Amino acid sequence: MAKEIKIPQISEGVDTAVISEILVSEGDKIEEDQSVISVETDKATAEVPATSGGTIKEIKVSEGDEVNVGDVIIILEDDDEDSEEKEEEETDKETISEKKKEDSEKDEEESDSEENKKDESKSKEKDEEPEEDEDEDEDADEDEKDRDEKKKSKDTKSKKDKDTDEAPSKDVYASPGVRRLARELGVNIKEISGSGESGRITEKDVKEYQEGGSKKSSSGQAKLPDFSKWGAVETKPLNSIKKTTAKNVLASWQSIPHVFQFGEADISGVETYIEDHNEKVEKAGGKLTFTAILTKIVATALHKFPTFNASIDMDKEEMILKKYVHINIAVATEDGLLVPVIKNADQKSIKDLSVEISEIAEKAREQKLSKEDMEGGNFSISNLGGIGGTNFTPIVYHPQVAILGISRATTKPVYIDGKFEPRSILPLSLSYDHRLIDGADGAGFMNWLVKALEDPYEALLG
Amino acid sequence: MAKKDKKELVVIGAGPGGYAAAFHAADLGIKVTLIDPEVNPGGVCLYRGCIPSKALLHLSKTKEEAMQASKWGMKFEEPKIDIKKVAGWKEKVVKKLTEGLGQLSKARNVEYIQGKAKFTGKHELEVTDNKGKISGLSFEKVIIATGSSAVGLPELEIDHEKIWDATDALELKEIPKKMLVVGGGYIGLELGSVYAALGTKVSIAEMTPGFLPGTDRDLVKVFEKNEAFKNVFFETKVEKVKITKKGVKVSLKGKKEEQSKKFDCVLVAVGRKPNTQNLGLKELGISADEKGFLKVDDKRRTKLDHVFAIGDITGEPMLAHKASYEGRIAAEVIVGKKGASYDPKVIPAIVFTNPELAWCGLTEEEAKEKNKNVKVVKFPWSASGRAAAIGENTGLTKLLIDEETEVILGGAVAGKNAGSLIPEIALAIEMGSTASDLSLTIHPHPTLSETIMESAELFYGGATHYKKA
Repeated sequence: MAKEIKIPQISEGVDTAVISEILVSEGDKIEEDQSVISVETDKATAEVPATSGGTIKEIKVSEGDEVNVGDVIIILEDDDEDSEEKEEEETDKETISEKKKEDSEKDEEESDSEENKKDESKSKEKDEEPEEDEDEDEDADEDEKDRDEKKKSKDTKSKKDKDTDEAPSKDVYASPGVRRLARELGVNIKEISGSGESGRITEKDVKEYQEGGSKKSSSGQAKLPDFSKWGAVETKPLNSIKKTTAKNVLASWQSIPHVFQFGEADISGVETYIEDHNEKVEKAGGKLTFTAILTKIVATALHKFPTFNASIDMDKEEMILKKYVHINIAVATEDGLLVPVIKNADQKSIKDLSVEISEIAEKAREQKLSKEDMEGGNFSISNLGGIGGTNFTPIVYHPQVAILGISRATTKPVYIDGKFEPRSILPLSLSYDHRLIDGADGAGFMNWLVKALEDPYEALLG
Repeated sequence: MAKKDKKELVVIGAGPGGYAAAFHAADLGIKVTLIDPEVNPGGVCLYRGCIPSKALLHLSKTKEEAMQASKWGMKFEEPKIDIKKVAGWKEKVVKKLTEGLGQLSKARNVEYIQGKAKFTGKHELEVTDNKGKISGLSFEKVIIATGSSAVGLPELEIDHEKIWDATDALELKEIPKKMLVVGGGYIGLELGSVYAALGTKVSIAEMTPGFLPGTDRDLVKVFEKNEAFKNVFFETKVEKVKITKKGVKVSLKGKKEEQSKKFDCVLVAVGRKPNTQNLGLKELGISADEKGFLKVDDKRRTKLDHVFAIGDITGEPMLAHKASYEGRIAAEVIVGKKGASYDPKVIPAIVFTNPELAWCGLTEEEAKEKNKNVKVVKFPWSASGRAAAIGENTGLTKLLIDEETEVILGGAVAGKNAGSLIPEIALAIEMGSTASDLSLTIHPHPTLSETIMESAELFYGGATHYKKA
């Protein structure tokens, strides 16, 4: 039997990934558990290990391909050729839809055949009758024309393939004419809820759906002008981190009524504390940072203000109070913003937190975070102090209800005991979900944080 | 090859798929070349299939009805059959229709080339005319619509003398006294019925335990009640065939016993295979699957963008009306109609025996397999006034209805004119109609169509003319 290596469940809830690197090539001998490709998911990069060893017969993906969990990426050679062929045949019979998909893939390979010799030999291998290089015996003009045609039809094809996958209209209650109208208008009829009896979709339903949909593009944004009218432009594709961030912040911004609360804390004491204890922490393998101290303080605050460690469920009209304290730390990386989670921050020492935060930030920058590293947070901290600025209003990370933003501390004259003294003043901004948290709570939370930063003992006293 | 006279669209095969595609494409403004070995369009359907068989079945039905009338006090003599005249009449029907298609083709300025086409390249093919002259042409796009042909059996090679295929049977050269039909599918039953009406003692041998494998048994039962055939051998295979001067000696191996029977001729109707051999598919750059079918997408496009395939060669069911539908879709795709797509919910199937059997959509057997939440309602024709008035009380109409949404998912009719009744159910399914849509549509009285309305009424508990005991 031919052995196949498939895309595993990379992490919970992640179904698609982009092939970022292929670590092996056809003909290579590989061992079980050896990494064969690396994939980029929404927020993490992972290497996919071989599920069995052998010689690579075929690599079915290329860098940049989007793959789904379960997709075959590599086929290994086997000693017994016959049984292998047989099996291929059997699977062919079993799932027509799969075959269709494969075919369409094959088509695409063919269209790209000139660009990619490897692909071409692949499609040759697959077909019983090896195909000639299709354009070989045609003159150059023909060639170009053909390719143009192909390009065009390839575009329509990929769209069509999507349609066939999603809309075998067998289960759609709409007349043939309405079904055709939907295709003409480029509407996926399966997305329309019919207004007729038993949910039957009418012509009016399709038109209304299309009118509602066509004003905005698929992402919901208004149509963009042609910027090149006014000067040179360059377009770059968004990477998966940027895409995810864009989606998430838009959803958060649209669903959460934000309130912003500002505060200032005198952290001269904290700075002395860091100077005094950094050595100890460095020995443990971390760096005593202000973020670690702040994380500890916030963890304590979340116990004191449980609605900040909560989520709101409007469907059930209830709040969900969490009995654990997991805190997200925003990390800026080259590819964009990542927010790994420090689990049970309330149970960890400042030293431990320092080490863990350094480690996880490093992991984020190397894009090695797993899904687990990013799941389950209740509250986020975004520290831009290292960069600058006086204040900013971070967006709450849905389904959390609050986020704390830190800007750069500056030395300011503070009037203490009848005279001005130079003190280190830290600007704090708190954004919160007004559906769950009122202004008084927000100000109370901020006050407590400021107090804790200035005089931890006083704060801890209660 | 001279590129300048590259054909815009070539359609290979002028059966109901090919000519529908060619005509529609021409109507949409494309210059079409249609290639077929016959002198006029029509294909197997018109020359050697649907149409001639229906003409003959009409005669057999006429005879049976006349014979039946004696029970009601109108006695006819045993009919005298002039086989030559019957064959002549059948030919006339075929000629009228195919010549009509020829005229329709001309009227649309479709270039009609008589001959057999074979691909020689991705955009080239050669046509061999009936005299063996070969000429080449090139094309931009092509629709392959070469249809299917009857398959034989290894132990039953068709010699067209005593071992017939359907084409031989339709030629009506003689009326054999005793005939064996191998295959209890729709072709075997239809042609068997024709010869039975002409006076032949027809026996049928079928490999499976019943007629029309895959069809709901209650429909088949309605046909069986008519007892059209002398002998029926189920679960029986033809073991050995010996052709003698007088006829054919056939060993039939049943489940238990093997028996030897003599017939004047044997008609083989065990199935059809797609005509995808000798087409030069390799030169074109595509290949058929192991069964000989060409894979196409919902635009009827093969894996080559400029090559389309329609009809029997794209897979089951091999039916003329499916081919025509596909042909029109392919033509529309070629002119760039965005909405054009192969998207039928149902393809009605009809067996034109007496009585007729017809069905579409979900069948009871499928519903059981798929474990669908379906209510099956059956209206027996014994409760229909019109059926009684024409002495047709064994008939049956049924609907398969989604219990939750009340949407019609399937339906079947067994009885006189079933083939003309089934389209209403097909339309209901395509429209996403519910049982109430059918029950609330006034059906004319007294007609057999009322059985569809009353079936729908049954879904809601009670039909006017039928109360389940």
